Amino acid sequence: MPGCALPGTPLADALPGINACVHCGFCLQACPTYLNLEDENDSPRGRIFLMRSLLEGTVKPDDPSVQQHIDQCLGCRACEPVCPSGVPYGQLLEATRATLRESRPNPFIARFILFVFARAWLLRPAMFFSRLLAATPIPTLLSGVKGRIGFAMAMLASTGRSIERSPYSAISRGERGRVAALRGCVMDGLFSATNRATERVLKVNGYAMVDAPGQQCCGALHAHAGDLENARKLARRNIAAFEKSNPEFVAVNAAGCGATMKEYGHLLKDDPEWHERAAAFGSRVRDVSELLAAAGPRAGGALPIRVTYDAPCHLQHAQRVTQAPLSMLAAIPGLELVPLHDSDQCCGSAGIYNLIEPATSDAVLAPKLANIRATGAPWVATGNPGCLMQIGAGLIRAEISAKSIHPVDLLDASYAAFGQ
Amino acid sequence: MILPSRSNASTVADRLAEIVGDRHVLSRPSELLVYNSDGLPGYRRQPRLAVFPGARDEAIAVVRLLADEGLPFVPRGAGTGLSGGSLADDIIVIGLHRLKDIISLDIENRRVTVEPGVVNLRLNKYVAPHGLLYAPDPSSEAACTIGGNVAENAGGPHCLKYGVTLNHVLAMTVVLPSGEVVELGSKFGEHDGYDLRGAFIGSEGCFGLALDITVKLTQRPQTVRTLLADFMSVDKAARVTSAIIASGIVPAALEFMDGPTIRVVEASIYAAGYPKDAEAVLLIELDGLEAGVSADLEVVRRVCIEGGARNVKVARDDVERLKLWQGRKKAFGAMGRLASHLIVQDAVIPRTRLSEILATIGAISKKYGVLVCNVFHAGDGNLHPNIAYNADDTDESERVHKAMTEIMNACIAAGGSITGEHGVGLDKMGYMESIFSDNSLNAMCELRGVFDPEHRANPGKVMPIHSCKEWNAVASAR
Repeated sequence: MPGCALPGTPLADALPGINACVHCGFCLQACPTYLNLEDENDSPRGRIFLMRSLLEGTVKPDDPSVQQHIDQCLGCRACEPVCPSGVPYGQLLEATRATLRESRPNPFIARFILFVFARAWLLRPAMFFSRLLAATPIPTLLSGVKGRIGFAMAMLASTGRSIERSPYSAISRGERGRVAALRGCVMDGLFSATNRATERVLKVNGYAMVDAPGQQCCGALHAHAGDLENARKLARRNIAAFEKSNPEFVAVNAAGCGATMKEYGHLLKDDPEWHERAAAFGSRVRDVSELLAAAGPRAGGALPIRVTYDAPCHLQHAQRVTQAPLSMLAAIPGLELVPLHDSDQCCGSAGIYNLIEPATSDAVLAPKLANIRATGAPWVATGNPGCLMQIGAGLIRAEISAKSIHPVDLLDASYAAFGQ
Repeated sequence: MILPSRSNASTVADRLAEIVGDRHVLSRPSELLVYNSDGLPGYRRQPRLAVFPGARDEAIAVVRLLADEGLPFVPRGAGTGLSGGSLADDIIVIGLHRLKDIISLDIENRRVTVEPGVVNLRLNKYVAPHGLLYAPDPSSEAACTIGGNVAENAGGPHCLKYGVTLNHVLAMTVVLPSGEVVELGSKFGEHDGYDLRGAFIGSEGCFGLALDITVKLTQRPQTVRTLLADFMSVDKAARVTSAIIASGIVPAALEFMDGPTIRVVEASIYAAGYPKDAEAVLLIELDGLEAGVSADLEVVRRVCIEGGARNVKVARDDVERLKLWQGRKKAFGAMGRLASHLIVQDAVIPRTRLSEILATIGAISKKYGVLVCNVFHAGDGNLHPNIAYNADDTDESERVHKAMTEIMNACIAAGGSITGEHGVGLDKMGYMESIFSDNSLNAMCELRGVFDPEHRANPGKVMPIHSCKEWNAVASAR
């Protein structure tokens, strides 16, 4: 490009990825915001065109409409697996957001959330308070209130609705290697039962669990919002923490976190001291379903329930893990898997998107809920806390009797049933 | 009651917004940028406004408002066109992608009526459970719309046996640029009087907008077999193409991909298992009744082997078959792996001269030092030479354009035509005078004048302005 309008920015650095787009438009029908907002500015091709225009100087970074269309992207990356030219869209989006942040900060609510998540001393009490609140009837009572407050309450209310199981003790021979699990922020704060279940099912399948003290938020939310500095800071801390316990695999039960951690090498590509360590770390990261699928997983006891599966975008599109979660469900005798129409489409959660772009998020969620309703299944399995709460909240507010659940919890319940 | 005055200060954008809603009118230059290009990255034309009607009545109201105001417009579907057909400076883009209802499916009579924004592949998925298909399958089927297919008279690999869009559209409701709504063709097949339906299909948005389109559906064949024949020479693959047709068999599809194309596709997510060291592959599909297909399969296999194919592989199952097809259909999009810009032509040549023209293309490519990727509908001689290049390199751009012009002239000299399916648009207007006489061009201008006497629909397309006597008269009268 003759004369780059934004030299030295993360976006300028991303030019080769932008140049890979030849405008074929094959991404349009994969994009939930294009399908809902019906404007090519809200399609992957359109946004890439805006990125190119920013670099050409034909639009300015402070242009409100450019900011709006970049903000409105869910970052679901459904465009990546359909792109014949292999445009690394997720990376382009993060680079663009990082560049736009310089002329305009993120909205207050986003900055507040990112500020808290980057600081363990704030995050812990925040999660403690959320947990306390979730244990009261208040979230359920307020879950029908219009607007984001009601939606946030419904999200909280949805977290306490997992499947009942009796305790069992998981013993591991450890023949499949040493695994350290990411505790995560939301998973640790609101889905700690799923974290414990993750350890148990991994043990049952032959993994030796080791602790990785000092680990923090993975930085995914920060990277998606263009706050690459804080994302890198968190990545370095996590790499150092996990290196100390030196596991063969880092198990992640939150698809969004796993996708970011697998890509730490890219995040730290310009950091000579950390790049190699980051790439080595990334190559050890596995979604929990991948580790379980590699081990079979072992069949459990009968669980005669009907379940439908919704693929988290960051598992399906970003990590390209499609079959492993299904193999977990297939290991449960008696479980009937009901196919979900458009299960590869985004649910509209997208990290903190549902709190920042509520109208678009709701529009993306609506067909998901209709498709879930049509299955008639009482359980929706999905392996990401954002999706669990987004779908969970949507189901509560739409008065659909189904509940969202992590596939790990289903497998764990099956193992618990086997123990009896 | 006091009616709001038409002459008050409200702008066209405001009045369009009254029809379709604020959100569906774009007027800020930064939001219109995206609409300054289509599926070909090389052309950019900046529109004045873009408007996206969400219902048929809104579309009619938009066209009528523009007629009242005497404003020019260009219809747009998914923007996947490959001739710059939906681009023009300072016009109003009417995006029809929001009109995406499938209006009625008549299974017994095998026809379906759809709105113009329905995506080709979505229509096919919709009718598949009934054992039916919509035959024209442009490679952009996953994104392109039926309205756009009608405008460009789109083809596709399977049009070799089944015919192009023109052969599958029964009837349309069209809003003319004047705002008048007319029915063209007949849902029952035979039309009365002149075939204005035929004139409209392929008119590249110059005759108005289709509001609904009734198309024929085809029964899914009992048996489908797909062969992949690979060659160590482009020439042998070209000769085999002619030999298959000469054997009397009409395959459902007969596609050609050369070595550079194979290697680009194999590097992509749509890698289909084409042999990476081959100089050419032919993808041949046979369909119909089991007995006939099996017999034809053996003939085609023999013709390929005798013609010098290194291997002939038959897809084992539907999964492998679809994979072979995905590689072919996404080849165009995969060219971004070579460079950021791409030029593609779609000249049609007599099939018997395929080998000779491919050799000429090879020589032209060497002469100008550019890489031509050939991926095309060999069965009907519809070439698609693609050249990926860096548009910022002025020297390279110049060589690429010279090479492409020479290729086009070679095709014309061989008795071919300039476009098989992508349309003339902006891209091929310069060649119109090479293949049509002044009288022919004038006759086309007059036909256009019947649908759009004011020349407001997709201005500056298809016809080189100076070749149109009638047009010049209008322009000088303004």
